[in-house]
Amino acid sequence: MSDYTKYTNKEMQAITIAKQIKNGQVVIVGTGLPLIGASVAKRVYAPKCNIIVESGLMDCAPIEVPRSVGDDRFMAHCGVQWPNIRFIGFETNEWLHDSDRLVAFIGGAQIDPYGNVNSTSIGDYNHPKTRFTGSGGANGIATYSNTIIMMQHEKRRFMKKIDYVTSAGWMDGPGGRERAGLPGNRGPIMVVTDLGILKFDKDTKRMYLAGYYPTSSPEMVEENTGFDIDVSKAVKLEAPDPEVIKLIREEIDPGQVFIKVPVEGAK
Amino acid sequence: MSKVCTMSEAISKYVKNGDHIVLGGFTTNRKPYAAVYEILRQGLKDFVGEGGPAGGDWDMLIGENRVKAYTNCYTANSGFTNVSRRFRHKYETGELIMEDYSQDAVMLMLHAASLGLPFLPVKLMQGTDLVDKWGISKEVRKTLEKVPDDKFVYVDNPFKKGEKVVALPVPQIDVSIIHVQKASFDGTSIILGDEFHDVDIAVAGKKTIVTCEELVSDEEIRKDPTLTSIPGFCVDAVVHVPYGAHPSQCYGYYDYDAALMKEYDVASKTDEAFDAYMKKWVFDLPDHDAYLNKLGATRLIGLKVVPGLGYAKDMTKEAQK
Repeated sequence: MSDYTKYTNKEMQAITIAKQIKNGQVVIVGTGLPLIGASVAKRVYAPKCNIIVESGLMDCAPIEVPRSVGDDRFMAHCGVQWPNIRFIGFETNEWLHDSDRLVAFIGGAQIDPYGNVNSTSIGDYNHPKTRFTGSGGANGIATYSNTIIMMQHEKRRFMKKIDYVTSAGWMDGPGGRERAGLPGNRGPIMVVTDLGILKFDKDTKRMYLAGYYPTSSPEMVEENTGFDIDVSKAVKLEAPDPEVIKLIREEIDPGQVFIKVPVEGAK
Repeated sequence: MSKVCTMSEAISKYVKNGDHIVLGGFTTNRKPYAAVYEILRQGLKDFVGEGGPAGGDWDMLIGENRVKAYTNCYTANSGFTNVSRRFRHKYETGELIMEDYSQDAVMLMLHAASLGLPFLPVKLMQGTDLVDKWGISKEVRKTLEKVPDDKFVYVDNPFKKGEKVVALPVPQIDVSIIHVQKASFDGTSIILGDEFHDVDIAVAGKKTIVTCEELVSDEEIRKDPTLTSIPGFCVDAVVHVPYGAHPSQCYGYYDYDAALMKEYDVASKTDEAFDAYMKKWVFDLPDHDAYLNKLGATRLIGLKVVPGLGYAKDMTKEAQK
């Protein structure tokens, strides 16, 4: 694909993820978009960040895109191969030491206005309509780390009340985490979707629209959110640098494992 | 003393119906598939399954109705099948009895088992439905042998007044099965790449079966003790099965077989296609040798990792770019 000025919302989402990562941060990623985003960050916006994964692989620098957090594509190009329990101990100690360098990306099927996430099942838990993998590392990560949540922006996913809470967000609002026995100084800091960036109000802990893409709008966000969402503070985000689009397509995900390149002539 | 035996002998001697079983590896990496296939061939069943980071290994055991109760934290061939399909189907139709924990909880529970701890206090899962909702009720738990009476119990931190924590049961494992790169005749083992939870379960299992890529002498494996991680006396049987983790990866040896992972992804969508897949790749084949011959030499060679890259890649195609 030669036209790097044309981009998809998914590419925009990956670049938006990348721009949230800062030098000096230790970034917990899974596979998929967060990994693409972290790879872009490492090459362009924050070369001094360190990528870690929940299987225990520390300071990863994969060449080819890994398919899972236990993939040899991570394992062969990392600083240390810890077993998973050391990863858990590390993230917990980061909290115990009051360090603020950890940031984690998690995803899910449903999210509520306070950033509680469901990655377990749709419908009644014991008799679900749709069953997913389950927590994986997400519950522990959401317990001890500040999180950036990846979502597809759809009404059926952004719900007033989700079917199952797999990973704790701000629970029911201010003080909710403390009441539940969770670290109160940790929690979701934003949600990055294919339509924009949502943040959480300092006082109410409710989600609001902070930024939208040149290809989306506050109205689109409102239409695709299943609860009332404040869009009054939203700003329009910059279009991606064509050089970065080129980097994603030609070097980071050339096999289009996680991001499909738009077909020429299609919209 | 040599513990080397055939896969058929190892499974028939050490795996019993109803056992509490744990498998090593991580979703699509170093999963002991050759051993799973033999368990299936021998008709063994009614397992209490400790899934850990599970993939096709547990999906096949669940799909073949061999699991009486399952502990889940994550079951997927990530990047190929986002939610394992037999697992999903059996749970959605009410045929699978299952409990959910977070993966951190499960990995710490397996570690606690290796440490011999009586129970495990954590702050994990609090505030979420992982504590509020139980996959297996108290009543059903009472009827299931080897399943603890409670999913968890809240306890007060005796060292911090007013702090409530989650006390988790520590699994009592009957059989652990892991696939390693090298094992010696007496069971001393080398794991290359991430060990995952494999060393923990090798210690915690009442019986431990090690399957290996390479079988080496007891003298050879002791040449560099920085590489060994499981002493022979923690191992009951050693089975030499090159490509024994296929179609998953084995660090330093071979990559996942993406074509077979995709074939399984499609096959696991329906009962009929799943049955046909299992017949083709497991039940119609008498043993691992037959499995390797069916795959063929060139297919297996094509999966060998490129040293330095750490994964398989056809570099001739790179040259044409």
